[in-house]
Order: sequence, then structure tokens, then C-alpha cells
Amino acid sequence: MRPLVGIRVIDLTVAIAGPVATQLLADLGADVIRVEPPFARPLHVDIRPLVDGASDRPYNRILSYNDLQRGKRALTLDLSKSLGRDALLRLAAISDVVVENMAPRVLPSLGLAYNDLRAAKTDVIVVSMPAFGTDGPLRDRVSYGPGIDAMSGIAHLTGYPDRGPMQPANYYCDYNAGALAALATLAALRHRNRTGEGQHVELSMLEGDLQVVGEALLDYTMNRRIQRRSGNDHPSMAPHGVYRGIGDDRWLAIACETDAQWAALCDVLGHAGLARDPRYADVVSRVRHRQEIDAIISTWTADRDAGDVAILLQHAGVPAAAAETIRDLLIDPQLHARDFIRHIEHPEAGALPYIRPAFTPTTAAARPAPLYAQDNRYVLKDLLGLSDNEILTLAEQGIIAEVPPNTS
Amino acid sequence: RMGALTGLRVADASEGVAGGYCTKLLASLGADVLKVERPRVGDTLRRAGPFLNDVPHLETSAVNLHLAAGKRSITLDVTSPTGASLFERLLETADGLVIGDHTSLHHSLGLASLSSRFPRLVVTQITPFGASGPRVPWLATELITMTTSGYLMMNGDADREPIKPYGHQSEYQAGLHAALGTLAAITDRDRDPNGAAEAERPARSLDVAISEAATFLTGGAIARAATFDRESSRNGTRPAGFPPEYLYPSTIRPTADGGYVYTHRHNRFPNLLAALMQEPRLAASDLLAQPLGHADETDAMMDRWLATRDKWRAAEEAQELRVPFTEVLDPGEIVDDRLGQHRARAFFVDIEHPVAGVVTQPGAPIVLPACSAATSSAPLLGEHNREVYVGQLGLAPRSLARLAAAGVI
Repeated sequence: MRPLVGIRVIDLTVAIAGPVATQLLADLGADVIRVEPPFARPLHVDIRPLVDGASDRPYNRILSYNDLQRGKRALTLDLSKSLGRDALLRLAAISDVVVENMAPRVLPSLGLAYNDLRAAKTDVIVVSMPAFGTDGPLRDRVSYGPGIDAMSGIAHLTGYPDRGPMQPANYYCDYNAGALAALATLAALRHRNRTGEGQHVELSMLEGDLQVVGEALLDYTMNRRIQRRSGNDHPSMAPHGVYRGIGDDRWLAIACETDAQWAALCDVLGHAGLARDPRYADVVSRVRHRQEIDAIISTWTADRDAGDVAILLQHAGVPAAAAETIRDLLIDPQLHARDFIRHIEHPEAGALPYIRPAFTPTTAAARPAPLYAQDNRYVLKDLLGLSDNEILTLAEQGIIAEVPPNTS
Repeated sequence: RMGALTGLRVADASEGVAGGYCTKLLASLGADVLKVERPRVGDTLRRAGPFLNDVPHLETSAVNLHLAAGKRSITLDVTSPTGASLFERLLETADGLVIGDHTSLHHSLGLASLSSRFPRLVVTQITPFGASGPRVPWLATELITMTTSGYLMMNGDADREPIKPYGHQSEYQAGLHAALGTLAAITDRDRDPNGAAEAERPARSLDVAISEAATFLTGGAIARAATFDRESSRNGTRPAGFPPEYLYPSTIRPTADGGYVYTHRHNRFPNLLAALMQEPRLAASDLLAQPLGHADETDAMMDRWLATRDKWRAAEEAQELRVPFTEVLDPGEIVDDRLGQHRARAFFVDIEHPVAGVVTQPGAPIVLPACSAATSSAPLLGEHNREVYVGQLGLAPRSLARLAAAGVI
């Protein structure tokens, strides 16, 4: 399925949320052209080892870049210079979508507001992903994704009951907003195809985050209750937790939804008496005595292999699973059977594993992330028809670069 | 004006958060979403607390009022022969069908042959681990799909058990991916015929795995594990899986009022943090060379500054210097909106519901200024039976009572 074949996307995104959005669009077949300032890239962390025989250009081996930009093209262009701005507007004239997640004041200050882009192409779709909104008193606040998780309530609601709030790991807000922005783009394209009308689509990362805590927000608006974090406890299931198994940091999750599952669990525990114990007879009493139950289970799991126990419990009809580490995912039989992780070869940084979206079929692009300035010539000459002299002028003025400044 | 997806009809026979959020997103974009619910009991979401005033009631569950807003509802026992044939008549005019893990429904619908019988229909199936692979028969809840996703192990303190993020995050993410995939498949179907000729056979059947949606949240960690054989182990509120050179602070710290702020260094102007706290050490070259490696020392310096400020003032002073601090807010503080952002954007909407009354709830996340964005309340169970069975399918009004007596609707 490549529904976006033939759709050209100008990618002005930074950080994580924006690149996630355009990666999903590339996965769906769009031709995504990243427009990157001709600056040096940060080289202080997570540089991939060099492939034998390849040229040693560390700026092409930045792991986070290569992870987030697969399947896209790269053009360097300084949008703060008028010739750079002109080139972008010419590119916009032959593109369908512009995706950006800079601070809301940035593009207008470069003369690249929605109206400027629209003057170049009347039906252009501009997708903006501000942290809080393109208007409102917080418009100009600075924040990265986890700071938005703080303001969406999910950090307050996540964590141990006896410790402080905890934002979900690894940029939850960014991945959430990225997928929402891709969905927004598809919706706007459908509208354009039917009406000929483009628009300036907006996805506030905070408002995206507020969707996923909707039930807690309604508990407040309906009941004036402020929910508290409760670790792995569930309000209407017990046992419901993550228990330590044998080995280094190995854990087993168990979630009993029904009395029958509880009875089956007691059976596997070799503790049939527990199932008949009136203190644990129904879910209400089990929730009340959850700490005693958790202690019994923890004692039992402590010297057992989490993976073996999970299979035993699943066979007995109890929802259970061993906690997978990230390294476990690389050899996970379920993910392998579903082709969830694919390795794509990068000419200078070697093969990198990529995950696809959570739906199949997808025909995720089999191209790696672009090299620095990889597509300058394709965009400027083939697409925009600039002459060699014009391209030379851009290079001389530092508006484009073939290598990052200050590197050799 | 019309919605971006006005004219698309989606039948939602799924239960739970993932399918419910998938079709909520499609409904918020203008699709006509029809919930097909089991007679008398309805979607499991209707029976999930909390409820209005904590009184269990099929019409006042918070999560159902949130997720079912903007949809219609009919009741139908699709496992009965009459029900199955009524359902098939609905599918004749549907663009999408969203289903969950309901095997009896799959049998009675003949899931495998749906796409040949309804060539325009996009069928989106959302299950814990997907429709293929060795884990298909496994039982699962939100906790279990989080556990197999790898994301669970990235959350929590290093000295404690890993913890799942609040609520139903793997299911919400699966719903989001399902909405994206469904609209992508419909786009694929409706593409320019010249383009379609060269493409592979359009997909009409989407397979969405809840656990994979949570794995999507580990983004980058798999690539790091494969490259450096480095685990992205849980690390409290600090970044998980990075070397000492990684940027810091990016963590939650307590403030004088018993609250918390999320603290972060500006990626491009790292010296601002030292200026804010008048703490030159925070800009020292050895510290900036390995910011995460100096996390304990950084926290101690920040805590001294935060100990004399409440969270509102700490965030405000930091933001004045463009240091990206934000307040950790609870649901009450979010709705009460002291900072005024939600009011200014009219984000929360008051929706009148016949049983629950006026309920203030989050508005749509995607703003499409050229399209309409009206939101109606969550439907009552079977509220649209007459409209659909009589108005759309042309059944005689008196047959509704007979179907109800037979337990079909």
C-alpha cells in the first residue's frame, strides 16, 4: 500500500515529532524532501561506526538522524537568505504539502508564513505542529515533547504511588503528535482532492496529548476527582502487576480480569486453597487485598524464569507475559514473524534496524536516511531547473552546502 | 463547509479503547461512524469506570463519553443469522469496518471473504499482537501488550519494578495507527486510476497490533541496541539509554509548593540555564561535555533554585529566559486552566448528553480551518436503531419490536 505515491512533501521539521510525521508519510509513499540549514550537525553523541571502505564523514553517521529520516531526501538551504527563500517558494510551487514544527513565530519571520506559501501554490497544505498552538498565551513558550507531557497530565498520572510524577519514557508526546500529524495530512489531502482547496492544518502537541488522558479529564469535569498515579495497579483488576523473576532485571506481568483467571492462576501456583479463600473470592475483595496477593505471587516468581511462567500461565488461560527488553525485541519471534523490524543498509553507517507503523500491509520505504546534502542537485537542477551558475552562486553565498561548514 | 472525511461511512464493531479511539479520530474529521454494539450490554467501554457520580450506568462512563462522542450507535447481535444479514446490508454502503478481537464475530461475518464480497470496504482489525505470528492465541490486556512491547521496560525507576504509563497508552497508540492506516487504505482505494494501475493490488484489509503500537514509542532505542549493544533501561525521569554526553537536564524536579516542574536545557543555548540560576557551574565545560554524566550534581544545583519557588513561578522565570521549563499539571489544573491557553483556543468543549448532562471534554486534536468540526455527544446505546434500520435499510417500523424481542437488536 503506497497511497501517497506522487505526493511531494517539503519537510521543514526538527527534533522528533516532525520527523516522525514525515517518516510516516514517506512510509506511505510520499516523496519527502527535507530542507535543512547548511550548518554543522551535533556530533557529540551516538555516532555509528564507519563501514569498511566508506569515506569518514561522521556527520552522516549520527544514529538519531539516520533513525528518524529514513526514506527521505535531503536538501541544504538557508531559508534566512533571500535566494534560499526564493528557492523554497519555487519548490513549494511544485509540492503538495509542507510540514513544519518550528516555534510558531519562525516561519512568518522568514517570510514563509502560510499566506506566502499559498501565494506560491494556491492549494498548498501546510501542516504546523506547535507545542501548544499557533495562538493563545502559551504560543511562544519553549518546550520539547516531555515538557508537554508534563502539562498534559500524563506525567502526573504516571509513576509509583509513593514517588513523584514521571513522564512516559522516550518522548511519548513526539511519537503521538507525529502520527496525528500524518493522519491530519491524509485528511487535508482528501479535502484538497475533493474541493481543490488547501489549508493551514494545525496539530498542537499538547492537545494531541490531552486525548490520551481523556478519561482522567472527564473524571475531573464530571466528578471533581483528581486521579493519582498508581503504578501498575488497576482499579478493577487484581492481581494486576509486574513481578520479579529469576535473572538480571527479568519481570513477569500478570493481569487477572475474571474469577476464572484467578482460579487458574492459583492452580498454576499450586495453591488451590487461595482460590477458595473468601478474602480473594471476587474482584472487589482481591482489589482490597491486592498487596497480600502481590506478595504471594512475587515469592513464587522470584526463582522462576519469567518467559517459562508466562507460557505456563497463558496455557492455563491467564493473561501474562514476560517483559521484553529492547534487545529482546531484536530477536522476538512474534515481531520476526510479522516483519516488524527491517534492516536497511546505509552506505556509510551500515545496516540499521527500522520499525514500521503498527499496521500491515505497509510498504515502508526501503531507502536509508539521506546523506548530508544528498539531493541538492536533484532538487535544484532537476526539479527547479536552476542553471549550474545559479547553483554555484548559492554555494558561494553559503546558502547551500555540500559538506557541513567547519568540516573538511 | 464540510468535514474532511464527510461522506465516508465507517462501521465500528470493535470494543475497547483502541478501536474506539480509531473511530473517534475518524469521526472528529467528519466520517459518519456507526457503532455496532451488542444488545443490552453494549461496548465494554460503557461498563468501565469511572462513572458520573460513581454510579455505574451504561450511559455515563467517562471513557465512553470521551471516545464515543460524534458517533452513532445501533445494537445488533451479529452472531445471530438475522443479525449477520442485517450487518452485511450495512457493509454494502460502508467504506470502512473496524473490528477487534471478537472471534465469534469473525466467524459469523466470514472475515476472510469480506473483501471479496465488499470490494470497496476497508477492514481494519485491531488485536493485541496482530493477526499472525505465534502470539495470536495469547490473552492480553493493556498491561500485557505494554509488557511485550519493550516500552514497559523503559518506564520506572532503576531500583523498582518497571511501570506502565497511565491508562491505556498502547491501546490509544494502536487506535491512532489504526486510524492512520484506515485512512491510508481508503486513500489508496480512491487514488487516481492512472496511478493505481502501476501500484500493487490495493490493500483492503489492515492488520493492527496493539503491542507494536507501543513498540513504536521506543523509537530509536532498537537502533541504539543494535548499534552499541546498549539497553535503554528505565531511568526514572531521566533519559533512558543514552551515554554521559547526552543532553541534561531533561527531568522532573520538586518545587517549593510541593509541586513539580519538568526541567530542560535549551538544545541550542545551553548556557541559559546557568544564567537563569546564577550558577556558573551549570555552564562549566566539563559539565557541558557530559551533561547526563553530571545529572546528580545538576539536580542538586537546580533543587536549590527550585526550593525557593513554586512551580508556576519557576516555569515562568525560566521561560522568560527561554529555558524550557514547564509545570507538571494534574487533571484539575489542566481543566481549570490558570495559564489560559485552553480558554483562548476554546479547546475544551461542553457537550450536552441526555443522561450525563453537560460534560466538559477535550476537543479535536486536529484543526482543519477549511473544514467543519462539529462534535455531538456520545450516543445512547442503540439510539440510532430506528434511523438506521428503518431510515437507511428500509425495515418496517413494527419489525423493530420483533427484532428486539428476539434479542437481535
